[in-house]
Amino acid sequence: MYGNAYIDPNEKANGILAGEDPIKLKEFENRIARGEKIEPKDWMPKEYRKQLIRMIEQHAHSEIIGALPEGTWITRAPGFRRKMALMAKVQDEVGHAQLLYSAAETLGKSREDMTNDLIIGKSKYSNVFNYPAFTWADACIIAWLIDAGAIINQVANAKGSYGPYCRALDRICTEESFHLKYGHDNVVTLATGTPIQRKMVQEALTRWWPPIMHFFGPSDKISQHSEILMRWKVKMASNDDMRQQFLNMYVPKIWDLGLVLPDPNLKLNEETKKWDYTEPDWDEFKRVINGGGPCNAERLAVRRMAEERGRWVRKALLNKSEQYVTPLA
Amino acid sequence: MIKSLDPRITRENISENNTIDPLTPMDNWETYEVFHQKKRGDQHMHVGIVHAPNPEMALLFGKDQYGRRGITANIWVVKTANVFCTEYEDQDMFETTPEKQYREAGGYKVMDKINKYKKAQKA
Amino acid sequence: MKTEAIKELLYKMADDLLIIGHRNSEWTGLGPILEEDIAFSSMAQDKIGQSQALFQLLHELGEQEPDTVAFMRNANQFHNAQFLELPNGDYDFSLMRHFLYDVADQLRFEMLANSSYEPLAKVARKVKGELKYHVFHANTWITKLGAATEESHVRMQTALNDSWNYALGLFEEGPFEKQLAEEGIFEGEAALQKRWLETITPVLDKATLTIPAASTWEPKLGGRNCFHTEHLQPLVEEMSEVFRVDPSAEW
Repeated sequence: MYGNAYIDPNEKANGILAGEDPIKLKEFENRIARGEKIEPKDWMPKEYRKQLIRMIEQHAHSEIIGALPEGTWITRAPGFRRKMALMAKVQDEVGHAQLLYSAAETLGKSREDMTNDLIIGKSKYSNVFNYPAFTWADACIIAWLIDAGAIINQVANAKGSYGPYCRALDRICTEESFHLKYGHDNVVTLATGTPIQRKMVQEALTRWWPPIMHFFGPSDKISQHSEILMRWKVKMASNDDMRQQFLNMYVPKIWDLGLVLPDPNLKLNEETKKWDYTEPDWDEFKRVINGGGPCNAERLAVRRMAEERGRWVRKALLNKSEQYVTPLA
Repeated sequence: MIKSLDPRITRENISENNTIDPLTPMDNWETYEVFHQKKRGDQHMHVGIVHAPNPEMALLFGKDQYGRRGITANIWVVKTANVFCTEYEDQDMFETTPEKQYREAGGYKVMDKINKYKKAQKA
Repeated sequence: MKTEAIKELLYKMADDLLIIGHRNSEWTGLGPILEEDIAFSSMAQDKIGQSQALFQLLHELGEQEPDTVAFMRNANQFHNAQFLELPNGDYDFSLMRHFLYDVADQLRFEMLANSSYEPLAKVARKVKGELKYHVFHANTWITKLGAATEESHVRMQTALNDSWNYALGLFEEGPFEKQLAEEGIFEGEAALQKRWLETITPVLDKATLTIPAASTWEPKLGGRNCFHTEHLQPLVEEMSEVFRVDPSAEW
């Protein structure tokens, strides 16, 4: 479950290609232009490797951290069907993390290094998971709408240029279609249920709308940097385009259920055929992504606890004679 | 101590400022490549990797990471270190192979000759 | 009378599966390594599914809907062995419980595959493959960790010692043992315990782990008669928190 790679807008684009072999660079760019995939051992520009590692790693972290807000309700899911389904859903998020870490490993960063960067707070992950799931309905809204947003991003990225990432995303997207149906089913059940249930789901939606609007990130600045990343098929769609696509697909479905979205300016503009909305609070977004959200500290503390509690298990079975070999694909 | 909305977390009595030693290399063990066969008679397909400390556990993990949905007939695991690969930069070794028409069914078109022969016989 | 006997058998099995499935699900997202997190969660899901199947049989015998029975009782109405309600502790205890219980569970279902009570025999045959994997998983972990390092050996031995008397409580006899055996429904707890000991002993040997001396055995009984430790009531309250918001609602 992931929105989009957070690339620091202030990062300098100058000199990205400095020192790269122009012939190899040309071959590399031609391959991508022909629609061919890049595979792990291919020559690639340093910046391509760096941005991909950053993006896939952030995506992987988002999955493992994303297991926590929904996991909040794993011991309390109501009824057999919901109990098994939520267990399966959270399990899938862990599975997605495994697939994505594996893809990032092919670029030369070990899973241990990625984990270390996560637990000390050096790496980012999707901002939405720094918000709490107050009630069962929050977990339902996450399962429907956050996963819906994630699918939009992941379907776009699955057409990117790096083979292992695309393969992981193909598998992930198939599983996300279960998540989306599961989430929708849950929200519909609450919205068409008893007054208590309806109130629960409306409140959860109201709470989650601002993080959902943040999900795809701020408008992209047109920069040399983002142009190159688009050309290399690292970044596949602009943040605003994805947000528009999400609104287009899901606002009508939300309104169908008679639920209210907490934005009086939200409407489809007949002239532009795009959705108008109140500009999300990007200062809040920055504050949360830099550690100031309601759950940042807890999320990382929990990951540290889990890694530490598992350490003796991993250590006991460690083969001293083995050497790490980068996974193949 | 963290008082979480998640009762599982609250029970762990975690401090928000807990620190741990960084994970050391190989903490997550070596990797195995996983091959999945859907139905008997199908080819096994490479589906990804698992981190595992031995082949038995690689099979356990492969089953649930790559076979927890849909149908599965069989799973193989091979330690990544034991797989030998061609290099992508040597892909040109295979470049002219599709051009070898003499070894393709499509390279043989006999109907023209047969039709011509039949026509000649009739005449 | 026969129905009462069958219900007693079904209730303890269904409650065992529900409570262990619930406990094991607490590890989801917090396991010792991603791959094992995934594997352990699959087995917890299987347990909940098996429990549901047995509650369905109870429903067919006149009990309430599976969800209502499972989510609306208090601890003093549960028939699970006390072993399964204990908190997860560290992964050593969770794995040891998984091993000791799952072998017993597999053997029990094996015995039931030929039960004269056909609905249960049918369930038993259906879950055979799931249980085979659960036991394969448990055996692999126990043998590897038991014999790995000094730390892991000590941890696993301690977990075995701590578990032992509780595990013996799995075989607490009920009031219908004789009748169930005579009717060809279930051979009985004593026969199951004997097979269980024969099955776990070679695995524990291979793991270099030692079963506590027989003179120290004091089975923790009571669970089958709804006597529980202080850990079950909070578990049940947590499990049913959302359901109880409106038990008449569809969730």
